[in-house]
Amino acid sequence: MARHFIYLTNTRLVSMVTRGKRIAARREFAVSAAGAEEFNRYLATLKRVPAHILTDLAEEDFRLDTVPHVGRGDRDAIFSRRLTQIYRNSPFRYAALQGREAEGRRDDRVLYTAVTSPEVLRPWLEMIERLQVPLVGVHSVALFSLALLQELDLEFPHTLLVTFSPGQALRQTYFRGDEFKFSRLTPVDLEEGQTLGTMMAEETMRTWQYLDSLRHFAAEDRLQVCVLLHAHDRGSIEPLLRGFAQIQYRVLDMAPVSTRLGLRPAPLSSSAEEVMVHIFLMRPAENHFASSEMRRHATQRVARQVLNLVSAVVLAAGLLWGGFNFARVLQANTADDRVAQQLQAYNREYDEITRGLPSLGVGGSAMRDAVTFYNASIKSFPAIHGFLRPLSQVLQEYPQVRLNQLSWQAADDPTIVPRLTLAPPTVPPPVKSIGRPGDSPLPPPPPDDGANPAFTTGRYEVALMEATVQVANNDFRAALERVERLAADISARPGYKVEVIESPLDLRPALALQGRLAEKEPPQMEPRFVLRIVRERGAS
Amino acid sequence: MKQVFPREGFGTLRASWAILVASIAVAAAVAGGSHWYLERQKRESATIAKRTQEGQGRAEAARRERESLEQSADVFRTLAARGLLQSERRLDLVELVNGLRIRHQLFGLDYEIGAQRPLPLAGGLAFPALDVLASRVKLRARALHEGDLLEFIDALSQSHQGFYPVDRCVIRRIEARGGGEALQPHVEAECTLEWITLKEKRANRPA
Repeated sequence: MARHFIYLTNTRLVSMVTRGKRIAARREFAVSAAGAEEFNRYLATLKRVPAHILTDLAEEDFRLDTVPHVGRGDRDAIFSRRLTQIYRNSPFRYAALQGREAEGRRDDRVLYTAVTSPEVLRPWLEMIERLQVPLVGVHSVALFSLALLQELDLEFPHTLLVTFSPGQALRQTYFRGDEFKFSRLTPVDLEEGQTLGTMMAEETMRTWQYLDSLRHFAAEDRLQVCVLLHAHDRGSIEPLLRGFAQIQYRVLDMAPVSTRLGLRPAPLSSSAEEVMVHIFLMRPAENHFASSEMRRHATQRVARQVLNLVSAVVLAAGLLWGGFNFARVLQANTADDRVAQQLQAYNREYDEITRGLPSLGVGGSAMRDAVTFYNASIKSFPAIHGFLRPLSQVLQEYPQVRLNQLSWQAADDPTIVPRLTLAPPTVPPPVKSIGRPGDSPLPPPPPDDGANPAFTTGRYEVALMEATVQVANNDFRAALERVERLAADISARPGYKVEVIESPLDLRPALALQGRLAEKEPPQMEPRFVLRIVRERGAS
Repeated sequence: MKQVFPREGFGTLRASWAILVASIAVAAAVAGGSHWYLERQKRESATIAKRTQEGQGRAEAARRERESLEQSADVFRTLAARGLLQSERRLDLVELVNGLRIRHQLFGLDYEIGAQRPLPLAGGLAFPALDVLASRVKLRARALHEGDLLEFIDALSQSHQGFYPVDRCVIRRIEARGGGEALQPHVEAECTLEWITLKEKRANRPA
C-alpha cells in the first residue's frame, strides 16, 4: 500500500512516497510561495494516497508537567484544559502521559507539545483539505524518534539524539530512560571560522548545560549523545566531538544504521528524514496534531475500505456458499444419474422377469395360490387307509378281538369325538354295568357343523373303534387285560394315542353292576369295548 | 465516526454503501437461490432414490416370484392336469364312481353330490387370486370285504381326475342275513368327501 509522507521543516518540505517498507519516490520543495505552488501541483497527482505530515519545526514547543493521577475521563479533561491554557492560539497541540512520579502523590508525568505558530502548518493543510487528500495524521518527529534508539538498542539512562533535518538544521532530542524530556531545533548557521563539528559540539554542550540546569542529571550521570551522520560528514565532525566525564559521544554511521533498520537504499546525506520515515513505517506513531475534522477524508477512506472489504467478504461468502451448493448439486446430479441407471436396470430386469414368468394359462398369483393351497390343504391331507394300516397290523396279533365298526374323521382338534352309534351286543355278557338313564359311555359328538363345514387341515385323525374281545365266560379280568394291552400296543405306534372309552366291564364305583348267570353258561363270552384313537400328522 | 455516519459522510460513502447493499443482495440471492436449487435437487434425488428402491423391491419381488413360480410350476402343472382349476365335470365323477364300483366289486353304492359352494378353510384362510369351491359328496357302499371298500375309497382319493379328500368315514360290519347261497356284503362304509375345484378370481369378474 502506498503512503505519502510530507516531512515539513521550517525551510524545506520533503515529499516521500513509500510502497511497503521502501521509499519509492522523493521530492523536495522550498517552504515558500513558489514551493507551495509546485507542491500543490505535485500533491494533486497523489491526492488519493493517504498522507502523513511529519513535523520537524522550530515552533514545536514541549513542556513537562505533573498532574494528579485520576481516571481517564478526568485526565483527558485536565489535558484539554491545560493544553488550552498553555497553547491558547494553536489548534495543533497534544498531551502524552509518560509515567508516574516515584514519590509523593505519585502524580502522572505529562508532556504537552504544540506547534506554537499554526501558520507554519496551515497553508499545507489547506492544500491537503482542498484536494481532499486523506490525511492520516500530523506527527512530531521528535516525539517518535525514541523508536530509532530502541531499534538500534541505544537505550541509556540519559540519551541525546542528534540528527540533521532537511534545510540545514540540527535536531537535539533528550530522553531520560524511555521518556521524552526535551527537544530543540537549531538552524545550522555557521559563524566565521566555525565548522559543523565545532558547532555540533558547542550545541550539545549548551544543551547539556541547559538540561543540567533543570536538574536532569545527578553528579555521576553521563549523557550519551548519539549523532546520526553520513560517512561524508563523519570525518569532519567526529574528531571534534570529544567526550568527557559527563558526555559521551556515539557516532551512528548512516550506512550501518540503514542496514540495521533495513532501509534500502541508504540515504545519501546526513539528513535524517528518510530514516525517520522508515522508523515510522516500522513503528507507526499515533496522530499528534491533526484534528478529527482534518483527518475526515482518511477516516472516510478507511470506512470506505472497510465497507468494500465487508462487501467483498459478503459477496465472496455468498459466491462460495453458492459454489458449494452448486458443487453439491452437481454431485447429486451425478449420483442421480447413477441411481437412474440402476432404476432403468431394475425396471429392465423386472420387465424381463415378468415376460419370462411361466403363466400356464393363469396369473402368477393364482398359480402360487393354487400351489400354496395344495401344499397346505391337500398334499398332506390324511387318508383313511393310512390310518387303518398300522391298526390292522396290531389287530392281527389279537385274533380274539373282533372289529365291529370304526368311525374316522380328519380334524384340526384332537379332542373331537366322531359320530358313532353303538350296536347292542349280540350275546350280552353275564355281567354288565348300568349307568343312570341317558348316561352314555361315549362323549357327546361335536355339534353339527351344518351344510357347509369348514375344510380342516387334517392335522389330526380321530377314530372311534367299537370291537369285542373273545374270552372265557366270566373272565372279565382277561378281557380287561387284553383290551388294555391292545390299547398300549396301538399307542406304541408312532403318532398314535389311544384312550379306552368303554371297557369290557366298567368297574367305576359310581355305576351299578348287574350279573345274570344262568344254570348253563356258554363257554365263552364277547364283551364289547370302545377305543378312541388319535393320530397326529408329523408325530410319526 | 461522525465523519462516516452523518449525512456528509454517508453521502461520501454512498457508493460503498450501495456496493455493500448490492453485495449483500447478490450474496443472499446466490446463496438463497443455490440453496433452493440444492433443496429441489435433494427432493428429486430422494424421489429417484425412492423410485429406485421401489424398482429394486419390484425386481427382487419378481425374482422371488420367478423362483417361487418356477418351483410351483411343476406342482401346478400336475394340479392343472388333474383339473383342479377346471369347473366341475359332474358326468366325469359319475362315470368315475361307477367305474370304481365295478372295479372294486362293490355290492351297492349310494352317493349324493351336494351343490357346489365356496369352501370355508380352517382358520379363515383365503387366497387373493383364487376361490376355493367344493361339492360335498356322501357315499354309502357295501362290500364283501373291508379291503374292497378301502381300496375303493383310496382309488377315489387318488383319482387323476380331481381332488376328493375324504374327511370322515364310518366302516361297520354287516351281520349276514339268512343262510342263502348268494354272496352277501359283510362291510358297509359311509364316507364324506369334498370335491374341490379352484377358480381364478379374475375369471369371476365380468369382462
